[in-house]
Amino acid sequence: MSNARKLFDEDLKVINVGLKIFYEDLKRQGVRVVQVNYQPPPKLEKELKDKLSELL
Amino acid sequence: MGNEKVTGALVERNLMRDSLQLMKISEELKKLDGVIDAIVAMGTETNKEIAKQLGLLLPEVEKAGDSDLFIAIAAKEEQSLKKALEKAKELLSAPISGGEMEYVDIESALAALPDANLAIVSVPGEYARDVTMKLLEKGIHVHLFSDHVPEEHEVELKKYAFDRGLLVLGPGAGTSIINGKAIAFANAVRRGPIGIIAAAGTGLQEVSSLIHNMSLGVSHGLGVGGGDVKNYVGGIMTKLALSYMEKDPSTKIITMVSKPPQQETLNSILEYAEKNTTKRLVLGFMGKVEMDLPKGLKGRTSVARTLHATALESVRLVSPYIYEKVKDEYTIPFDKLNAMLKPKYEKLKSSQKYIRALYTGGTLTSESLMIFDLLGIEVYSNAPLKGQKKLEDPFKSVGNTVVDLGEEEFTAGRAHPMIDPTIRRLRLIEEAKDPEVAVILMDFVLGYGSHPDPAGAHLDAIREAKKIAEKDGRHLVIIGYVLGVEGDPQGFNEQKRKLEAEGVMVLPTNAISALAAALSALRGKLNDNRVREIYEGYLKASAE
Repeated sequence: MSNARKLFDEDLKVINVGLKIFYEDLKRQGVRVVQVNYQPPPKLEKELKDKLSELL
Repeated sequence: MGNEKVTGALVERNLMRDSLQLMKISEELKKLDGVIDAIVAMGTETNKEIAKQLGLLLPEVEKAGDSDLFIAIAAKEEQSLKKALEKAKELLSAPISGGEMEYVDIESALAALPDANLAIVSVPGEYARDVTMKLLEKGIHVHLFSDHVPEEHEVELKKYAFDRGLLVLGPGAGTSIINGKAIAFANAVRRGPIGIIAAAGTGLQEVSSLIHNMSLGVSHGLGVGGGDVKNYVGGIMTKLALSYMEKDPSTKIITMVSKPPQQETLNSILEYAEKNTTKRLVLGFMGKVEMDLPKGLKGRTSVARTLHATALESVRLVSPYIYEKVKDEYTIPFDKLNAMLKPKYEKLKSSQKYIRALYTGGTLTSESLMIFDLLGIEVYSNAPLKGQKKLEDPFKSVGNTVVDLGEEEFTAGRAHPMIDPTIRRLRLIEEAKDPEVAVILMDFVLGYGSHPDPAGAHLDAIREAKKIAEKDGRHLVIIGYVLGVEGDPQGFNEQKRKLEAEGVMVLPTNAISALAAALSALRGKLNDNRVREIYEGYLKASAE
C-alpha cells in the first residue's frame, strides 16, 4: 500500500515548487534539484474547480 | 547645508512580484549614484509604514493598495532621481528566470527528475494542498514551507501521508536537515548521532547549531510545523518522525524541540513514543510542562525547558566527556558572566533601565521571554507568553520590550527579517533615541536561506545608534547572538568578528544572551533564588 520513496541515506533529489532561493541553496550544496515556477490558477477557475469537486 | 534631496514615486497597479525580488531591486537602486534611499515594495500597510520611516510615504504611495507595487526614491538631485526611477522600471520588467531549465508544472518537473524523493513547497497557503497532494500521490515526501494553509488541509494531507509512510514536514516548517543537507532555513551542521524532531523552526536551527559547535552532529532534523503539536493535528507527523528516527541506524538518540504541545496531543505523542521507540529521548519543550511520563519512557527520557538545555542534554547523553569539557563554556557561570558585563553596564546612566530585544527568530523570542519572566522582569511583546503584556503598537517599544520581527505584522508583503534587515535597522535607531534604553539584544541567524551577511548589514545602523546615544552622553550595551556554524555561507567567526569590532558583546547561546541582557539592565542585581532556578531548572535538563 505504501509507495513512499526512500529518503534517509539516499541521494536527495528535490523538486522545488515556489521560492527560488531554496533551489539555489540546494544547488550550492550539490543536491540535484529542479525548479517549478508555480503560478496560482486564476481565482475563478479555482472556485469552479472546488465547486465541481464538491458536486462530484 | 548640502542636505537637499528630491523624492519621487511611481505606482504600478495590480502588479505582483515576490518580496525577495523586490528587496533585491531596492538594494540595486540604493547603489546608484546620487540615490539616498529607495524602496520598491507591494503596497501593504507594513510596507507603507517602512516607507514612512524612510521619509518616503509620498501621496501616491499612500494611495497604493495591497496588490499595487510602488517605487519610492530619495535622491540628491532631479537627474539621479529620474535615472533611478527608469532603472527601477527596467529591473521590474526583466525576466525572473536565470536562464536555467525551469518548469511551470509538477508533471514536467517529475518527467525531468523521475526519481525525486523530496519536494519543497512554498506556494501561497490556499494552493498548498493541491500541489502537495499531487506530490504525495507519487510517493514523494514534502517539506511544506507555506504559511496560512487551512487547518483542515493540513489534517487531510498529514493523515493521507501518515497512512503511506510519507513525511509532510510543515506547513509553516522553516527548517529541516536531511542526509546532512540544509532544507530551507538551516545550517551546515555536520552529521552525527542526534536525530531532531522540531515543531519550531529557529528552535531546530539553534539546537542543531549548538550541537555542531559542541563538536557533535545531527543524523536528521525534521521540522514538522508548529500546528503538529496542537490538538487539531494531534501530533500525526511527530509520531511518523519518531518512527523514522527509531528505524534509522545512524540516529542514537531522539531529541524533540517544540513549544509546549497541547495536553491531549502531548499525551498521545508520549504514548506513541512509549510503544514505538526504544531509543533515548530528550523532550525539549519550552517552559515548564506538566506531564505524566508513561512507564515505558521512564529511565530513558530527559526533560529540557530551553533550547540551551535541549542541546546540552543531547550532547551529554552521547558523550559525557564532551559535555564536561564544554558545559562551562556554554552555560557561563553567573559570576563570570557578571564580571564580563560589568565594565559595560557600569557605563550606563541611572536613567537607562530598559531592555529592547529585536528578534528575527520566533523560538528565540519565546526563549528570551521565558528567561525574563523567570527573573520577574515585566516585559511587553508582540508575541507575549501567558501573563505577559501585549505591545499595543508592535512598531513602538515601551518599557522592556521583546519584539519578534518575523511575525505577520512585519512580514505582510515583505521578505522575512532574516533575509531583509531594513525593518530592524530602522527599529534599532529608534531604540537608540529613547534615553531610558540600557540594553539592545539582537539575533543574527546564519545559514542557508538567510541574508548573505546579516552582521555586516547592521553595522551602519549599530554605528548610528551608538552615535545617537553618545551625542546625548549615553552608552548602550549591545548584545548580539549569532546563531550558526562556521560552515554556513556567512561563516560564524567572520560574523562574530564584525559585531565584536563594533563593541557588540557576542555570547554562546540565546538563553545566555537573554540572561546577560537582564543582568546588564539590572546592573548585576538579580534575585539569587531566581538565578539559581534558571541555572538548575532551565539551563540544565532533568533525566527521568
